[in-house]
Amino acid sequence: MFTFLWSPLPVFMLTLRQFSGGRATRVVALISLIPVLMAAIYALVSNGTSTLPEEFFAEGVFRGLFVATLLPVAVMVLATGALGNEVEDQTLPYLSLKPIRRIRIVFEKFLASVVAATPLILGGMAIAYVVTFRGDAGDSDHLTYLWSALAASFAGILAYSAVFQLVSLLVARALLVGLTYSLVWESVLGRYLPGLKIISIRHYTESIFVGMLDKSNYPSLVQAGNQMSDPTAVGTSAIVIVVVAIVAMLISTWRLGRLNLE
Amino acid sequence: MFSRIKRGATTPAIPQSTAASPAAILTDEPTILFDHVSKWYGDLVAVSDLSFSIGPGVTALLGPNGSGKTTSLKMISGLIGQSAGRIEVRGLPPRGNIETYRRFGLVNDVDNVYPYLTGWEFVWMNARLQRLPDPDAATRRAVDIVEMGPASDRRIGGYSKGMRQRIKLAAALVHDPDVILMDEPLNGTDPAQRAHMIELIREFGRQGKTVLVSSHVLVEVERFAENILVIVNGKLAAAGNYRTIRNRIDNRPLVISLRASNPRKLGAALLGSPAISSISVGKDDHITAETNDAATFYRIVPAVARQTDVRLLEIEAADESLESVFSYLVER
Repeated sequence: MFTFLWSPLPVFMLTLRQFSGGRATRVVALISLIPVLMAAIYALVSNGTSTLPEEFFAEGVFRGLFVATLLPVAVMVLATGALGNEVEDQTLPYLSLKPIRRIRIVFEKFLASVVAATPLILGGMAIAYVVTFRGDAGDSDHLTYLWSALAASFAGILAYSAVFQLVSLLVARALLVGLTYSLVWESVLGRYLPGLKIISIRHYTESIFVGMLDKSNYPSLVQAGNQMSDPTAVGTSAIVIVVVAIVAMLISTWRLGRLNLE
Repeated sequence: MFSRIKRGATTPAIPQSTAASPAAILTDEPTILFDHVSKWYGDLVAVSDLSFSIGPGVTALLGPNGSGKTTSLKMISGLIGQSAGRIEVRGLPPRGNIETYRRFGLVNDVDNVYPYLTGWEFVWMNARLQRLPDPDAATRRAVDIVEMGPASDRRIGGYSKGMRQRIKLAAALVHDPDVILMDEPLNGTDPAQRAHMIELIREFGRQGKTVLVSSHVLVEVERFAENILVIVNGKLAAAGNYRTIRNRIDNRPLVISLRASNPRKLGAALLGSPAISSISVGKDDHITAETNDAATFYRIVPAVARQTDVRLLEIEAADESLESVFSYLVER
């Protein structure tokens, strides 16, 4: 698959090969199935509940669990391994002792994380959507939920991939640091210290989701009672996400050039 | 600074007769230059004020495990930075200078190679990353050099250690570098692979490449390197022609321990022998003798024992270990 890309993007293809069939990919696939599992449970018990599918999908699945925990953890598993495994296995010299720019190594590794994570994570979200809305899943009104969730998820994948790749170059235990960041910074501190949200990837990911829903005029989200407060505009959020990814990759490039490969 | 020694007519890489000097050596046109290089990790000094320069040909970096060989090779290749001093490869500092990577290949001592790639894919990827115009042809050539053609379509995860060493060498050779660094390349190879690897190393030297090969096995380097740098505890212990240094090692004072039925009688009889520089009898009745002429010593001791009617129970060299050999060179 993608064999024609070996010549223009060898580091990307090497990393995809590393991911294919690897434990990290299986873990991400399992994490991506959790929203599907939630949606299935909802579908089984929804006759006895007053929660609308729109509210369940937006608040229960996407904002309540997916963005808060599953998305950063899933991306982290892949992104910290892209360069982190090369450092840990001492195979990085096979790439770094070559006459190619460091930023190219960083970018191709980042690209591989995004390409590996996107179908799994977005696929899980799409299945969760279909299971939640069942027969109404094809309605154009409901489809906005899907597009919003997919767009916001992809934005999160971009930012988290770049940030966690950087973390793997800065610390030896990148997974532990990444988990702490995801669970403490993004989830707990962001909730109780509202000022922190502007330096939280989760905030901008949610803002893209909520912003795209608001445009489609869905009252159910507003009626949910625990809707997102002070979301940033979709355009601004997208720009912040891109800037975060670029800055993280530039720092990774700088770090890669100064890394002592013992 | 370096003590400057002119290159000899018959030894293109490193001049002769520098074994006695703990100072560095210098060729007229050094490919690799170490100028008062040190590397430390906190309180631990891995390399201390190391100075040498080498040119084309095969040079062995010899020393016991933990002596600083791998650290030195990693600094030359730019994988780690030095704490002090200056390193140059063909006149350029290697650390962070990606253009120097076109000129050299590194075969490191790390056993890990991407297990999910085939041997061919691994070498081809290296060719591609070196931006070679025809990576297929370069890969075929490198795989053939290390005689891995038939196994190159198998995944590296299924290779033996010796095969991994050879495919790593193919990857390091794929761009035909003129500087080759090899860290313990004979580790894990079987006798046939070892003989082939040694012949390859010698061939690289004949081709005029600068080849620096680390090893901790003294007798091993004789087979491929005419010149050696001996490193002990991060310091240069000796440098120069292999034969010169080997002679010094063979002629070093040896401490030999003896046990006999009457140690004092045997010790007194041996005292006048010119082959023995000192002799003592310990409380445990062991005789400890020091000699500068081990061959003569081993010949006369049984004869003296017979003449004095003493039964010789045990004779053992007390310091035959490689570490003691290296320590001797350091003390000199």
